[in-house]
Amino acid sequence: MAEVNAALKENEMTQEGFDPKILGFFCHWCCYAAADSAGVSRYQYPPNVRVIRVMCTGRIDARFVIEAFRCGADGVFTGG
Amino acid sequence: MTEAARQLLEDCGVDQERLALEWASAAEAPRFVELITGYVSSIKEKGPLGAAAGEIPREEMKRRLSAAVKAAEARKPRTLLGNLAKKLAKSGDYSPEAISKGVSQKVLPAMRSERIAVEARMILEEGPVDIDSLCKGTGASAQELEKIMAPLEKKGIVSRKKNKFSLAGRK
Repeated sequence: MAEVNAALKENEMTQEGFDPKILGFFCHWCCYAAADSAGVSRYQYPPNVRVIRVMCTGRIDARFVIEAFRCGADGVFTGG
Repeated sequence: MTEAARQLLEDCGVDQERLALEWASAAEAPRFVELITGYVSSIKEKGPLGAAAGEIPREEMKRRLSAAVKAAEARKPRTLLGNLAKKLAKSGDYSPEAISKGVSQKVLPAMRSERIAVEARMILEEGPVDIDSLCKGTGASAQELEKIMAPLEKKGIVSRKKNKFSLAGRK
C-alpha cells in the first residue's frame, strides 16, 4: 500500500498538459521480464507507467487498485 | 479479484476501462510493447481521472474511493469473495460471464453497502445533514440509505433528530 502511495506521489508537480499517470503491477516472472527484455532490445514504449513489481499477479488485491486511483492514478495496468 | 475491483470502481464512478489486466510472457517483449502502447493511448483519449464519460467530479470521487478502500478491506465482502472463489472452483466454470455474475450478485452488494456506510460517516464528520444530501453525497437511494443507517443508529454511532443525521456525541 505504501509503495502505491510513493509511486504516485513523486511526480505530482509535473502536471502540465495531460500526461497520464499509470500504475503498473507487473509479475516478476512474466510481464516484468517482458518489459525488461523490451528495454534491452530497444523497443520504444510510452514512459507513463510506474511499475510496482510483484512476485505473482495473484498477490494483487482489490484495495491496491482502488488505493492507486485514490492517489490520483489515471489508470492501472496489471500485467501477468 | 479484478472483477471485484472493477465493479467497485464502477460503483465509485470510475470508468472501469481504466483498469486493465493483460498477459505477456517473459519472451513476448513486442506483445508487451503493443499492449502498453495501446493502453496508454486509450487512457490519453479518456483524459484525466474524472473526465471520462459517466465519471463523477474528482473531489467527490476521492472521498468515495477512500471509503471504497475501507470497503475492500472489510471482512464481510472479503469472506464473500473467498466463498465465491470456492464455488467457482467447484463448478469449474471460470468464464468471464460466470465470474462477473457471481461478483455482482454476491460480492458487490456487500462492498457497496460497506462503502456507503463508511462514506456516510465521512460526510457526517463535517456536520449533521439530512437524508437527501446524504443520498446525493454517497450516490445511494433513500431506501438503501435507510437500510444502512438503521443498524448504525441502533449501535449508537449515528443519531437522528428531525430527519437530520449526526454522529453520536457531537452537536
